[in-house]
Amino acid sequence: MSAPAPALAKAPSRTTVTVRLADAAFTVACLSLVFAFLLVFFPVSFARIIQDRWLHGNLTVAIMAITLLIDAGLYVRIAYRLAAKPTVLAAVCLGSLPIVVGLGVSFCLQGAVGYTLSGDLPNLQGRVGEEILVHTYLGLVSGIFLPFLALRLLQQLKAARSNREPESPSRKAAAASSY
Amino acid sequence: MMTDWMSLKWLLWISLYLILGVFVPWAASLAWADQHGKVLRPRPKQLFERGELGLISLVVGISVIWDLLQSQYMPQTRALGSVLLALSGTMAAAVWIESYCRDATGMPNNPERAWRDSRNLAFLVFSMAVVIEILLDRFAKVAAT
Repeated sequence: MSAPAPALAKAPSRTTVTVRLADAAFTVACLSLVFAFLLVFFPVSFARIIQDRWLHGNLTVAIMAITLLIDAGLYVRIAYRLAAKPTVLAAVCLGSLPIVVGLGVSFCLQGAVGYTLSGDLPNLQGRVGEEILVHTYLGLVSGIFLPFLALRLLQQLKAARSNREPESPSRKAAAASSY
Repeated sequence: MMTDWMSLKWLLWISLYLILGVFVPWAASLAWADQHGKVLRPRPKQLFERGELGLISLVVGISVIWDLLQSQYMPQTRALGSVLLALSGTMAAAVWIESYCRDATGMPNNPERAWRDSRNLAFLVFSMAVVIEILLDRFAKVAAT
């Protein structure tokens, strides 16, 4: 029996990061509790800060920046915990989706504000303020949750496709020669 | 710091779900064991280890979607909130479905993972439900003035 050739032996490769939706869910839940705390204990000042940001035109940018930072931090933490290698797919998903979601929520908010102002409703200013507040919350939640959901679904699709792929002839030959 | 303690009625509302969805099934399992003279002291983790918490959170999500649809928020806001709640509730319920399918087909199933996933996703749905109920309460006050 010949000894194993160390030069030909492959170094153990690091597995890629497999994201679980539960990791993102916990972070979003904690963020929601912080939001709820601020809403209950600082109902006026917290709402005013958010409305001022929207009036100055930097609420959408702030939502994008916060969600990008949280997404990146969460992904790096998962990679570190699993001692796994980050993937390009994840970088593309987590880098682009928070921006797309932020823009989408911003359009939605503009539509809702326009719709409110066009209606003959009482207390228009208060209603617009509440619309801004709820869109800020939904923007933060969707900016973190949706990229991880997309990543999880893409990973599952990739895994299902690789499971269905027929074995290549070279791999079959290698398996036969090993007997 | 201004606090309207009437706004905390969502605490009562959410605790109803926790009591009826988590505590009552746990107490019922103890009562069943006592009635049949068996030794059974399940912890909530053992009782819900196949991801059943996901089903409870889907029920919470549906009730909040209903409240949101009844509100005077603009259609865009109602749609966005409902879709997000429905997505998170469905993903929570999917943990139970995956766990059931793995058990039914003889594939390896990890109850520890199913418990962790369903617990975190249920936590997400409950916390989202709390925030949206607070926001609905605020909006109802604004719309009433």
